[in-house]
Amino acid sequence: MSESHRVLTAHWHDPSVIPLAGYEAAGGYRALRASLGMSADELIQVVKDSGLRGRGGAGFPTGMKWSFVPRDSGKPTFVTVNFDESEPGTCNNRELVEREPHALIEGSAIAARAIDCHLAFIYVRGEYLWQGQVLQRALDEAYAAGYLGRGIMGGDYDLDIVLHRGAGAYICGEETALLSSLEGFRGQPRLRPPFPAVEGLYESPTVINNVETLMNVPHIVNNGADWFKSIGTEKAPGTKVFTISGKVERPGNYELPMGTPMRTLLEEHAGGVLGGRALKAWTPGGSSTPFLTADHLDVGLDFESVMEAGSLLGTGAIMVLDETDCMVEAARRLVEFYAHESCGKCTPCREGTWWAARVLGRIESGHGHEEDLPVMADMGENILFRAFCALADGAVSPIQSTLKHFMDEYEAHIREGRCPVTGRGPGRERGADHPAEDDRAVPDVTFAGAGPFEIQGVPS
Amino acid sequence: MAIFEGQRLDEARAIMARYPDGRQRSAVMPLLYLAQSVEGSVTRDALREIAELIGVRTAEIEAVATFYTMLRPRPTGTHLIAVCTNLSCALLGGNDLLEAAHEATGIPAGGEISDDGEFSVHEEECLGVCELAPVIQVNVANHDRVTPERVREIVGSLRSGDVPEPARGPAVESFKAASRILAGLEPLAEEGATA
Amino acid sequence: MNLTIDGKQVAVPAGTLLIRAAEQVGVEIPRFCDHPFLEPVGACRQCYVEIEGQRKLFTSCTTTATEGMVVKTQNTSDVAHEAQVANLEFLLLNHPLDCPICDRGGECPLQDQALAFGPGESRYREAKRVYPKPITLSPLVNLDRERCVLCARCTRFCDEISGDRFIEMFARGAAQQVRISAGEDFRSPFSGNTVQICPVGALTSTPYRFVARPFDLSTVDTVCPHCSAGCNMKLDMRAGEVVRQLARDNYDVNDAWLCDKGRSAFRFPDAPDRIATPLIRERGLEPASFGEVLTRVAEWTDGARVAILTGGRLMDEDYYALSKLARTVFRTNDLDHRRAGDTGAAAAERHAAAKPMSLTYDDVETAAAIVVVGLDAEQEVPILHLRLRKAARRGARIWVLHPRRTRLHDVATHVLCAPGDEARLLAGGANDTLDEALAAVREAGAGAVVLAGERPGAADAAKRAADATGARFQYVTRRANDRGALLAGVHPSLLPGGRELDDVDDVEAAWGPLMNREPGRDTMGILRACADREVDVVFLIGVDPLRDVPDAGLVRRALDNVPVKIVQSLELGSLEPFADAFLPASAFLEKDGHVSTWEGRGQRLRAIRGRDGISLADWEIFASMALACGGDLGFETLDQLHDEMGRLMAAREDGRSEPGAGTFPAEVEPGDALALFTYPLLVDEGRLSEGADELKAALGQEPFVELHPSDAAAAGIVDGGRATVRTDAGAADLPARVTEHIAAGAAFVPFNQPGLAANTLFSGRMVTRARITPAESDAAPEGAEAVGAATGGGA
Repeated sequence: MSESHRVLTAHWHDPSVIPLAGYEAAGGYRALRASLGMSADELIQVVKDSGLRGRGGAGFPTGMKWSFVPRDSGKPTFVTVNFDESEPGTCNNRELVEREPHALIEGSAIAARAIDCHLAFIYVRGEYLWQGQVLQRALDEAYAAGYLGRGIMGGDYDLDIVLHRGAGAYICGEETALLSSLEGFRGQPRLRPPFPAVEGLYESPTVINNVETLMNVPHIVNNGADWFKSIGTEKAPGTKVFTISGKVERPGNYELPMGTPMRTLLEEHAGGVLGGRALKAWTPGGSSTPFLTADHLDVGLDFESVMEAGSLLGTGAIMVLDETDCMVEAARRLVEFYAHESCGKCTPCREGTWWAARVLGRIESGHGHEEDLPVMADMGENILFRAFCALADGAVSPIQSTLKHFMDEYEAHIREGRCPVTGRGPGRERGADHPAEDDRAVPDVTFAGAGPFEIQGVPS
Repeated sequence: MAIFEGQRLDEARAIMARYPDGRQRSAVMPLLYLAQSVEGSVTRDALREIAELIGVRTAEIEAVATFYTMLRPRPTGTHLIAVCTNLSCALLGGNDLLEAAHEATGIPAGGEISDDGEFSVHEEECLGVCELAPVIQVNVANHDRVTPERVREIVGSLRSGDVPEPARGPAVESFKAASRILAGLEPLAEEGATA
Repeated sequence: MNLTIDGKQVAVPAGTLLIRAAEQVGVEIPRFCDHPFLEPVGACRQCYVEIEGQRKLFTSCTTTATEGMVVKTQNTSDVAHEAQVANLEFLLLNHPLDCPICDRGGECPLQDQALAFGPGESRYREAKRVYPKPITLSPLVNLDRERCVLCARCTRFCDEISGDRFIEMFARGAAQQVRISAGEDFRSPFSGNTVQICPVGALTSTPYRFVARPFDLSTVDTVCPHCSAGCNMKLDMRAGEVVRQLARDNYDVNDAWLCDKGRSAFRFPDAPDRIATPLIRERGLEPASFGEVLTRVAEWTDGARVAILTGGRLMDEDYYALSKLARTVFRTNDLDHRRAGDTGAAAAERHAAAKPMSLTYDDVETAAAIVVVGLDAEQEVPILHLRLRKAARRGARIWVLHPRRTRLHDVATHVLCAPGDEARLLAGGANDTLDEALAAVREAGAGAVVLAGERPGAADAAKRAADATGARFQYVTRRANDRGALLAGVHPSLLPGGRELDDVDDVEAAWGPLMNREPGRDTMGILRACADREVDVVFLIGVDPLRDVPDAGLVRRALDNVPVKIVQSLELGSLEPFADAFLPASAFLEKDGHVSTWEGRGQRLRAIRGRDGISLADWEIFASMALACGGDLGFETLDQLHDEMGRLMAAREDGRSEPGAGTFPAEVEPGDALALFTYPLLVDEGRLSEGADELKAALGQEPFVELHPSDAAAAGIVDGGRATVRTDAGAADLPARVTEHIAAGAAFVPFNQPGLAANTLFSGRMVTRARITPAESDAAPEGAEAVGAATGGGA
């Protein structure tokens, strides 16, 4: 395994880089100094040339995003760092910040410089309490050393970075919902156009970037665009810090070149499936990406290859399930996640995830009916691309991909009234095509509190 | 008695000053955390006072407060035990941890707070520590690769006034203390599990 | 932009949304969250269309037309149609089968769409979301959460249009719901609009709940009788009874809005004390015939000194006839419609009378700079308040010069000034903020607007400032047809069309010779003359001076001393002990004619039902009265009257600009007394709000006295305590509200709240001197704070 591909994780074995002195000693803030000597256009160009694409899931070219920001609008510009990392299976941002917080600060500062921004925000999810503290400590150190504040590094560029904590809402990882939340409103996504680059935070031009994306920036400034392009694939240069979790021997965050095949990650780095069992299903990029199977182990982990295979790279969060895992249960749990996290603004997501979670729950517990399957298939079609934002599309992934690859498991649940993998369920005698009338006495999904949907609000 | 007075009013103002002039509405979330750190949950008084501080209607604050999972509108135990049951954790026994947490704290399924007010248990979505699953958080501090036995140990520790060291970072004394940190403030000097 | 929709070509202005463009070719795309006056949100996802060349479907409510676009709606695109059916299925999943008991049934877009193309049977086998129902958002508005489709039209209205953000979306996902914060009811004067725009039966109106089905109703288009906004309404009647009033779209006047008073205060024409037959005192206030009464009137007025007082409730045609009657039959200029007579608004009045429609709602909306002087729009002309907010949203800069803060405070800069101080401040050099405003106004030229209200001293000062800066100006008074009265010359020194008394040519051409060219007495002068027995007969037409005039003592003396009092109205009310004769007038529901908005826009009023009893339209009574008195107004039909009127009341050049004869102190004299001022709040004890119990429960207030902290401290008064207010005219013991949102040196009492007829404190003007001291027992009364702070000095 070549160490030259450890870019973002090069210092993960060395906790001395966490405080400022150690980070500086390892070459930190060199790139920021260099960027202060470049013009905004030059900075944007080098990032454009590098081909860096957003690591938060969308894969949008970063340099292009920066170039959309008008610097002459008369309004202040903003950089907002998306540290809301809540996609199930994803933890690379967390560990990146734990192990080298200053790298994020430096990357954010360079991004700010590129769009002439003087106030940047880091939106960190509430659950990352300690990681927020680590960042705040690093910010304090950076201010004390003159890397932030008035006239950074003795020049005439001012920059403030403010830490803002989320409070438990996956939807706030969506760009416009993040901005809404940061502005003090409910974290619901907003219409585009206008795009954030033109009218984002406080109606002003704004760039929102993922943590991992920004942490690549100092390296690109230090080593150049060509260097970056020499790693990874042509369309997806650079490395990716993949998270692999679930039924594997060595779950963890692994930085590998973009395009590394899944087999390499699974077997060479993560030690293969836990207990030597058979791989059943895996997500390439978190719960929002369709499940792939053992048939897809040779797919390269980059944007294009995964898409060709029928899924999405997303955040590169690989979750591995084995032969002892029930796919219906997995689908149900993930759809429940989307139902919990749905912001509620639009009909297909709010109602569709509600419905899908209930039907899947019924099937899983052995109370499914044949009609449920075409209904689930329809539901997937009716939610996909029909909602206000991509959260709903994420919910459809587990539905459609499990129906596609594991229809037999669904049918078995319905036919047998129990799970063919775990054996759980009431079971039932089945001879006739249609369920008996008393089968309609299905257990409702229960809710906490007085009624099914008493407001989760402040009691009067 | 008002929540935001004296030192806490100063802190509230400092929080509001983090944001550009005229954009103090952005301070809603940290102010809610600050109120939660005082009262243990987001109370009606807190909503009203924050609305006044920012200059909006109470309903606008309540709209924000009720949107987020970590801003808790109903009484919460001194210690909040959050158990992830999303996919990666579920695959490795997260549901068993949830059951153990309910049992150890004496909170029935569907309940929110133990009778003695010491604990609350909350089923969580992905906490972002999937590679160390199954995970829980005690007062928003991480415990990794947890077993049901460990859950019982942790609850036992908490009952006897000992907050166990988390996997990373310092122990957080209580849910109130966690809320204070989330408001972006330094822990109070006399921080303890007292109300 | 030229585009094709369902094969039809259509050209639309750039920026037009597809859903609007489709309407222009007669295609109605189903929708819930879209509303022409609200910013698009794309939340409901019902309005999908297919656009050629695009993979995904687009919501037509958020997509603007581009050149050459080819759009296929549900009519020509299977994919779009199926998407709409699927979306409807999602909406109906949790929708309760409430139709049989839901007010919306029969006029419900969800019902209509489900019937047209929805699934016939539900595929949903799970438990539906249920909530306790209904919850009371306010005494006027109920919420059934299960019915809500979360289109957020209601919360968006409150955020974007009215700015009263009492209701909001709480929680998220499937638990999302419209709520108020406990204890903070939906106390907005515009709450009823959310009920009207709710596309389902989630929000319902308390006065209308379970009352009627739409197919039982007959509907008439008319105009609201409550204020000079002139909102267009639809009146719904069932079996002769008005059961509901809704806003009618008029993009030139009220957009799609109506205030809650307009919606709920419709019971007054059927108040129990309505009298629909003439009465005569000599027969013990027994019913008499018109002939009998008018004969007596002729006898009383023959050669007598006649004065006429009226209010703002009549139609344009009524006022015209009255103006003609006064001048040609009674030969008097002692007639006035103004509550307090001359208030130093002579130049403003002349401008308003001569220049109807010189400034419209649209002009206000599109102005770049606006100065509002002496007007609390939210309380006095609510829909104008909404239009001002709309202007602010478009980027207008707005300043308000008023003794107390108004509910424009979140979009306008307020300068609080003591009543009477406006002229000094507007002259320039006295207040930086106002100077900035005037500079902006000057710069905007014709793009600037100055609006003046009825606070004493404000109107002419504002007119002067407008003239000096080139801004456009209009005088805004509160009552529904004050403007019609002014235009018709129901005024001691004005003839129709704002003509001075010596500018008679046109008038005499229509009326014949005018004998009396001496300026008459204004309202206060008439009342003083009555009290001094210098008037023989006083007519009280659609007015109750005991309630309306700011000098209750004087009115009593006047009524006690004037020999003959003839009342023409819907009821006798407090005039019962005084009236010598009563002439029954028809209510606005029963009349055809016009009323004029503050702009001077005449709008058609239509009779919804026949005349009550033997009541007649006021103009008809005047015409008969003229004949009985030996004269002839010369018209028998409304059309004839209208023709004559039209010729005399077209817009003309401005009248004189110098202030008129009214005496008015320019400044508040220093001293330890405060300048106590008053005006009626929106929801008060006015006659027209009779029977509007839910409205009063929702928006009514107890009386109070409001003063500035510096004055309160000097007097030892605490917020929530009680204070005694003493003036030359009387005294009252009231709850005190101390707030910095009122000018120092001034104090406010609302004019007519239950428990205080403030006109007992005033001596002929809407401002006076008062000494305010802590009340004897200073215990804070219970509920002093609980009174909704929805208006003016509150939040």
